[in-house]
Amino acid sequence: MVSKEVERLLLKVQKPGRYVGGELNEVIKNKRDVEVRFAFCFPDTYEVGMSHLGMKILYSQFNSVPYIWCERVFAPWVDMEAEMVKHRIPLYALESGDPLSAFDFIGFTLQYELSYTNMLNMLKLGNIPLTTAARGDELKHIVVAGGPCACNPEPIADFVDLFFIGEGEEVDLEVMELFRTCRAEGVDKPAFLRRCAQIEGVYVPSLYETAYNDDGTIQSFTPRDGAPAVVHKRLMLDMDTSYYPDTFVVPLVEIVHDRAVQEIFRGCIRGCRFCQAGFIYRPVREKSPETINAQCRALCDNTGYDEVSLSSLSSSDYSQIVPLLEQLTAWTGEEKVSISLPSLRVDGFTDEIMNKIKTVRKSGLTFAPEAGSQRMRDVINKNVQHDELMQTCATAFAGGWTTVKLYFMIGLPTETMDDVADIAHLGQDVVDTYYRTPNHAKGKSVRVTVSASSFVPKPFTPFQWEPQDTIPVLHEKQQHIKASITSRKLQFNYHDADTSFLEAVFARGDRRLCRVLALACERGFHFDGWADCFDLSKWMALFEECGIDPAFYANRRRRFDEILPWDHIDYGVKKSFLIEECQKAYENTTTPHCRLACAHCGAAKYGRGVCFEKRQDLV
Amino acid sequence: MKNVRIWFKKDFECRYISHLDLNRTMLRALHKSKIPIWHTEGFNPHPFATFPLPLSLGFRGVNECMDVRLEDDDYSFQEISERLNACLPRGIRVFDVTEAVMKAGKVAFASFTIRVGVPDKPSSLVAAQLDRLLSRESIEIEKKSKKGMKTVDIKPGIHAYKITEQFDVAVLDVLLSAGSSDNVNPNLLIEALTRETGMAYEVDITRKCAALHSVVSSISRFATMAITTSAAPHVAATPTTASASLASRSSVE
Repeated sequence: MVSKEVERLLLKVQKPGRYVGGELNEVIKNKRDVEVRFAFCFPDTYEVGMSHLGMKILYSQFNSVPYIWCERVFAPWVDMEAEMVKHRIPLYALESGDPLSAFDFIGFTLQYELSYTNMLNMLKLGNIPLTTAARGDELKHIVVAGGPCACNPEPIADFVDLFFIGEGEEVDLEVMELFRTCRAEGVDKPAFLRRCAQIEGVYVPSLYETAYNDDGTIQSFTPRDGAPAVVHKRLMLDMDTSYYPDTFVVPLVEIVHDRAVQEIFRGCIRGCRFCQAGFIYRPVREKSPETINAQCRALCDNTGYDEVSLSSLSSSDYSQIVPLLEQLTAWTGEEKVSISLPSLRVDGFTDEIMNKIKTVRKSGLTFAPEAGSQRMRDVINKNVQHDELMQTCATAFAGGWTTVKLYFMIGLPTETMDDVADIAHLGQDVVDTYYRTPNHAKGKSVRVTVSASSFVPKPFTPFQWEPQDTIPVLHEKQQHIKASITSRKLQFNYHDADTSFLEAVFARGDRRLCRVLALACERGFHFDGWADCFDLSKWMALFEECGIDPAFYANRRRRFDEILPWDHIDYGVKKSFLIEECQKAYENTTTPHCRLACAHCGAAKYGRGVCFEKRQDLV
Repeated sequence: MKNVRIWFKKDFECRYISHLDLNRTMLRALHKSKIPIWHTEGFNPHPFATFPLPLSLGFRGVNECMDVRLEDDDYSFQEISERLNACLPRGIRVFDVTEAVMKAGKVAFASFTIRVGVPDKPSSLVAAQLDRLLSRESIEIEKKSKKGMKTVDIKPGIHAYKITEQFDVAVLDVLLSAGSSDNVNPNLLIEALTRETGMAYEVDITRKCAALHSVVSSISRFATMAITTSAAPHVAATPTTASASLASRSSVE
């Protein structure tokens, strides 16, 4: 629903279809029939936010409850923002067109650190005061947040009333229910938040005090008013009965991932040491092929999409991938639906899988060896061998593929310049493999793209204590790869090191960064994840103004016994396990994945998932 | 196998989507409706649909159409219409399905209703400005082309018009050249007006219908008809009344 005032702006901005709602399957309710109004905010553009699976799940689930109306809010692109500010139009939700101030809850999903400024900017555009303190005691405008960045909530602790730790399906609804009760009882916001803190998986940052040592590290972290000393994550244990939408809002304009998305499992068995997702979503919990098949079919029927993407952290690790593809291809061909299988591992691309995805549509192939040398891959526990990669590429080339993308990281712990040069060498080996494959596509040349991003150490990984390489070192490594490439069949691109640096600051930051963010918002910072808007020199000026050294967060090696800003949050993986893994990395030693042997990370305490599967070698 | 022409309105939220987005939305609705339509053959088969004349982003369309080829002739027009509406966003409504009598590629004219106003200015002022502009011998416009800026005279592409006043806006009903060769986008008219007066106009454009060259033996006769039906655009909303539109089974002669 678009107001007359907004309509006047729409023809002045790019892609106005992003600001109007009115899509197929959008949920419209009568305001008078609902008790709780929830504004689900994605702190990025419509095209990015509408592609996000978590939002689709929670949007549908909230709206399946009769007393809740959940609406969508996205960050307006800079041209629209300027028009809205100029004409004093507050940020509004797409379904009702109502401003943020009309909502009981304003919820954000935090997928990446660089969206923090967008979150604050959206509050500002909605005329919602930025901090918990400034919003007052009345039981309204409760700002909540979840998503992977909630695992270190501290840099945004002043702005968010409560965080959902872990998976949201159950805990979100428990909080809504409590809100309903509190409103009926006439309870104020501080009291409501104190009661929320008793719900497992809810973190209320205003109930904790931090003290610091002289060297800037954390001295203590103290809860008050009965808040728990450690907040434990929530997770869905039975994926087959867990809520999954049978329909998506189908956008009118093209979005980043314009297709149906079907989740096949959560978590990852691998334990790559740089990967936060690989630890915070433990243990692996799979859906059955039957559930997946039925859910895929419902999604296609209800949306009209002709493509389904099977989503997980590592598709080929789904234990029943072949039976699943068989069930799916039984109807997808007839209904002209194609299946895409992203996140394939190098060692998981078999003939059988290849032939199944080939029957529908041939998309490009992307693999992530992550590091160039075998030693480096052992350090990060990638568990991929050089020969496996070549074998896989040969399989793909024999199957007619001619383009392969390879993803790498630079700046990994213990990395040397020789390791870095090996990234280029590995790319070259793939090119050579193409010409050695006897039945590669006739008369066609091969194209191998090598992409290098800069490593950002993240909380809850074995590398959470590691310093990030400084920007000059990262630049040097980028140039070294470039210089090591000799073939024109090999294309090299790399991510901007500046953004990775800022990401590293906020990923492992503490509450003192709130001041920097508040000031950034005041100065109009937004869309830091977009090259159009990001400017590190402006950030450096802000840090200086606030008397904060960003290198303290990004480039400092922490001691294992240091109190980390996120130590009061529990994702099921023990700190002692992360330390062990870090030490094994220094010794170039790998850890077998969950299906081969239990590494005793701690996630077995949840009592379900891969920890209780029969191991392959024991069957 | 049968070619059918699907008639729809594009309005509300869907006014703000581009032609490419409309195409995607339509194909997705067809796929969801499970009406079997013909797919192109080849390496990457895709459903085949053609639109005779793309509608610019921001315009309302009350007599838009799209041609598809059905693989199964058992569907009644009524059924196609109902099934599609159940699969479309509320801003796009199918109101008729007909046989595709004439070739879609030969569109030559389109008629528009353009409401133009300036906040706090009387409609008579804008109406007079429009009248002055349109009475000119030539209306020159700077157009971006591949070889840089180019001056074009759009006057020969304006075939008939009528200006009326309605509350605070001036209403221009106009018949313009359309199609691949001499298309005149009504936005160009507004651009010319803005350049002349320097005023910021609020504009609301509705395309009423498109017409084929072969249908219109006498432009002036068609023009009179197109303009007169325009006073009440909803009358022209069905292809049977807009007899000179693509739906016509008998020509205007």
